[in-house]
Amino acid sequence: MDEISLMNNEYNTTQYIVINIGDEQYGIDIKYVDNIVRMQKITRVPNCQEYFKGVINLRGEVVPVMSFRMKVGLPETELTNKTRIIIIKLEPNAPVGIIVDAVREVVTLGDNNVDEAAKSSTSNDPSYINGIGKYGETLISLLDLNVVISDKEKE
Amino acid sequence: MDVNQYLEIFLDETNEHLQSLSDQLMILENEPENEDTINEIFRAAHSLKGMAGTMGYKRMQALTHDMENVFSEIRNGKMKVTSQLVDVLFQTLDALEEYKNTIQETQDEGTNDNAAIIQALQKCLDEGTGAAPEEKPEEKKSEAPKADADGDNGEKKWKNINLQEHEINALKEAEEKKMNIYGCTVFVQESCILKAARAFLVFKAIEELGEIIISDPSTQDIEDEKFDFDFSLYIVSSEPYDKVAEAIKSVSEIDRVVGEEIPIEEILDKDGQETKAVEEGPAPAPAEEEAKPAVQEAAPASAAAQNTGSAPAKKQTANKPVVNRTVRVDIEKLDVLMNLVSELIIAKNSLVSYSSGGQASNNSSFNEQIEYLESVTTNLHESVMKVRMVPIESITTKFPRMIRDLSKKLNKKMELYMSGEDTELDRTVVDEIGDPLMHMLRNSADHGLESTEERVANGKDPVGSIFLDAYQDGNNVVIEVKDDGRGIDVEAVKRKAIERGTITSEQGEVMSSKEIIDLLFLPSFSTAKVVSDVSGRGVGLDVVKSKIEALGGDVSVKTKLGEGSTFSIRLPLTLAIIQALMVIVGDEKYAISLGSIDTIEDISVDEIKYVEAKEVINLRGNVIPIVRLHEVLGLEAPEENRDSMIVVIVKKGDQYAGLVVDELIGQQEIVIKSLGKYINCTSRMISGATILGDGEVALIIDANCLI
Repeated sequence: MDEISLMNNEYNTTQYIVINIGDEQYGIDIKYVDNIVRMQKITRVPNCQEYFKGVINLRGEVVPVMSFRMKVGLPETELTNKTRIIIIKLEPNAPVGIIVDAVREVVTLGDNNVDEAAKSSTSNDPSYINGIGKYGETLISLLDLNVVISDKEKE
Repeated sequence: MDVNQYLEIFLDETNEHLQSLSDQLMILENEPENEDTINEIFRAAHSLKGMAGTMGYKRMQALTHDMENVFSEIRNGKMKVTSQLVDVLFQTLDALEEYKNTIQETQDEGTNDNAAIIQALQKCLDEGTGAAPEEKPEEKKSEAPKADADGDNGEKKWKNINLQEHEINALKEAEEKKMNIYGCTVFVQESCILKAARAFLVFKAIEELGEIIISDPSTQDIEDEKFDFDFSLYIVSSEPYDKVAEAIKSVSEIDRVVGEEIPIEEILDKDGQETKAVEEGPAPAPAEEEAKPAVQEAAPASAAAQNTGSAPAKKQTANKPVVNRTVRVDIEKLDVLMNLVSELIIAKNSLVSYSSGGQASNNSSFNEQIEYLESVTTNLHESVMKVRMVPIESITTKFPRMIRDLSKKLNKKMELYMSGEDTELDRTVVDEIGDPLMHMLRNSADHGLESTEERVANGKDPVGSIFLDAYQDGNNVVIEVKDDGRGIDVEAVKRKAIERGTITSEQGEVMSSKEIIDLLFLPSFSTAKVVSDVSGRGVGLDVVKSKIEALGGDVSVKTKLGEGSTFSIRLPLTLAIIQALMVIVGDEKYAISLGSIDTIEDISVDEIKYVEAKEVINLRGNVIPIVRLHEVLGLEAPEENRDSMIVVIVKKGDQYAGLVVDELIGQQEIVIKSLGKYINCTSRMISGATILGDGEVALIIDANCLI
């Protein structure tokens, strides 16, 4: 506890929701997270971007849902009962859902525990990550939600 | 003063007053002697002035004040209403409207003094009353100096009251009625605890005998106890001064009253001096005291002029209107809503008690509860929709004025007849159709109606008529703009279209007259020979059409050469909820708007013919292309081969298409929801989504995109 409070005093801290995709951990800034819901029936929308699985009914609102795996070019996996949809609100009145394998926990990271993401000079892929957080022994890739949600297809 | 909380009310009421002014002016123009109208106008102008003053909008106040002066003269029978005067008054209204818009956007009235209009009003006033200009408009800084030259430093503090023009007018009026004018200062005992209450009693006492013209501090400040131990008043009364003073003194805890009768000349004199003082030297001694408000007033003006915007920066944070859009709701409608919500809670409670009551209750009572709940929600839905509905009156009220202006501008005599202004439409629709309707009215006035000479030559009433009729027709609202003018000359349109290369002459030969009239809705197509201010640039009807279609409605024309034409707009009652046909394609459910469906047919497979390798059917003489929804929706074709298939015939204008579906579920009222901005539906054939009774999402097919 002492360590954390010390951290709070000296550095800006941000809370992240840690999610699992395969064996990797990703962090989503909690201030953009509106809600986390279980997997539910998704209505397919024809002729839209491939990574959008469709739309769901979230308490009377129609919310588009995308597959994080498809968006970043990973293979699809079976849905389990740990699969969750994270409802993100980058702007008010424009929610979007992201399907993730599982939600683990909420962590607080100080600025001193976040490193800049290593930029790979050989790849032209847009980077979905804007930093690497160190939490104890685990490394958490911090997602740049604007890039994840944006329309730009991975080339 | 923080006026934000009142801004909305102010704007609402300003709107109302401006509208009533405009309406009454129209009446006044036709019946210049109508006293009720003049009184009504006077009242509206007066309240407008009062409101603008309270909110601190000085320029607006100055303008309304001058307008009020004019009406006050008219009301007193000193002046006649002339058409020229009405023109100036309409200009004044436009200027006030402009102030209002600026205030709505920036909370500031802007810097336009509208000096020209004020002068024009003044001129009318001078000419009308036949009097030499008695008083110069001293609006610019009516609030400025307070100091008085004569050094009555003592107790006659009422001499320090700075009279404004309208107060002086009121005093003059009183003088004419042979009433006496008194100035007095009332001193309250210093031990007095409830000063405001005492002051109130004083006011009341005076008002029994006469009228208080002005007080210093202001009535509001006195009510708020923002004064020391004295306050000063100008009073008009027919009673002698002693009686008034006695009445004041009869209030307990009043120390003494100082005052005397003031001859009117003195007041006018003083006013004259002051006006001069303002004009000559901008910074006499009292300037210090007044510096703050003056600077405040000057700052936005100069800053806005330089466009650097340092001072008012915080005021004008963004360009969007400061005030939210609101709907005024009838209290009765709200009561109904409230009742329904309470019924809903009761229904919920009985369901709760049912579920916690174990097995005791039986199935039928459960069903009863569900039915009850259903009826409550249906009613609730209806009521909420009703709250969103506003009568189209809110936009049509400005049309008579517009037609009047057009009539002058085009030099044609015309009259507008309206009916069904109380027809209600969804707020969003009403907001959008104002411009299209205006276009159509202008169109009728300019193109439809002949010139007065031509009408006489054709044996018609020299005054042209334009009709605006609105009525509800099932789930639609129809608005018709009809004129008794020359009608559309189909041949002329055809010639013009060929001339412009829109169609070839061969095409022209075979086109029906209806098709030719539809050409009018093409962009940049106008048959008017002269481009006028009013219309004729050809940017009218196509805009109307696209706007109406964007609202889910359509426009049609009927015309008879020499007798006139009718443009009808058909609009859905509401945009948010539609009647739809639910269908199943593959294993997915879709909704098709009932408005675009013509018929539903059972077609046997061998009726399908091929034209240019595309599937068509011949339905009662119409050749209709077939769209297999499986394919366009990216689903796998059904395996089983059926003998017949269900085809939903949809229609857009005169065009048809047949959509092949697997199953029909039935008709349902659906609430349209947007898909959100992230999903891009490339073909645009999905116009939205809706949530079904079981919580599932179904997509809405936009049949127009499939034709």
